[in-house]
Amino acid sequence: MKNRLKVLRAERDWSQQALADKLEVSRQSVNAIETGKYDPSLPLAFRISDIFGLPIEEIFIRG
Amino acid sequence: MASRGRSPAYRRYFRRHIGLTVLYLAAIALATWLVPDDAPPSAGAVMLALLPGIAVLGWIWSMGRLLVELDDEYLRMLEVRKFIIATGITLAVVSVWGIIELYTTVPRLPVFFVFPLWCLGLAAGSVSNKLTFGHDTGTCK
Repeated sequence: MKNRLKVLRAERDWSQQALADKLEVSRQSVNAIETGKYDPSLPLAFRISDIFGLPIEEIFIRG
Repeated sequence: MASRGRSPAYRRYFRRHIGLTVLYLAAIALATWLVPDDAPPSAGAVMLALLPGIAVLGWIWSMGRLLVELDDEYLRMLEVRKFIIATGITLAVVSVWGIIELYTTVPRLPVFFVFPLWCLGLAAGSVSNKLTFGHDTGTCK
């Protein structure tokens, strides 16, 4: 699944580690999600959504 | 919080693993010292020979605890992936070798080697994780 995590993170000038700390996950997790190698669980997707203040469908793109 | 170096689950896992390894080595040394070669399976000899097995059970338990205690779902997925690959390799090798043993006179594979073989499978799982995801958890036993 594609996502806009990298763009959203860059807009806020957050490093991968900074986002990982906010999400309470490892930096590897953020990297794997950003590069589309790993799709997060629904609870983690909701945490990402909360942190960016955007609905899930504006972060994760079908297809 | 959950990066590999800082994760409490990994710290606990490595602490347990070191303790169990010390216990295993001590138990092996004790059994080797006290049980003569080709000893009959007396109660005492079996009890002494079981001591290293307790440490092996501890290793298996500690790996299970790691999966339970890891709060980072991606790292947990990498660990589970390694376990599945290790299990697949172990089942494949022992099953195929067992069939060869049935029909030919190849040397019998001692069951003692099943767990070390599974641990080698974890190493293969680590390589697979690295190639597939670019990351590994580095807990290969």
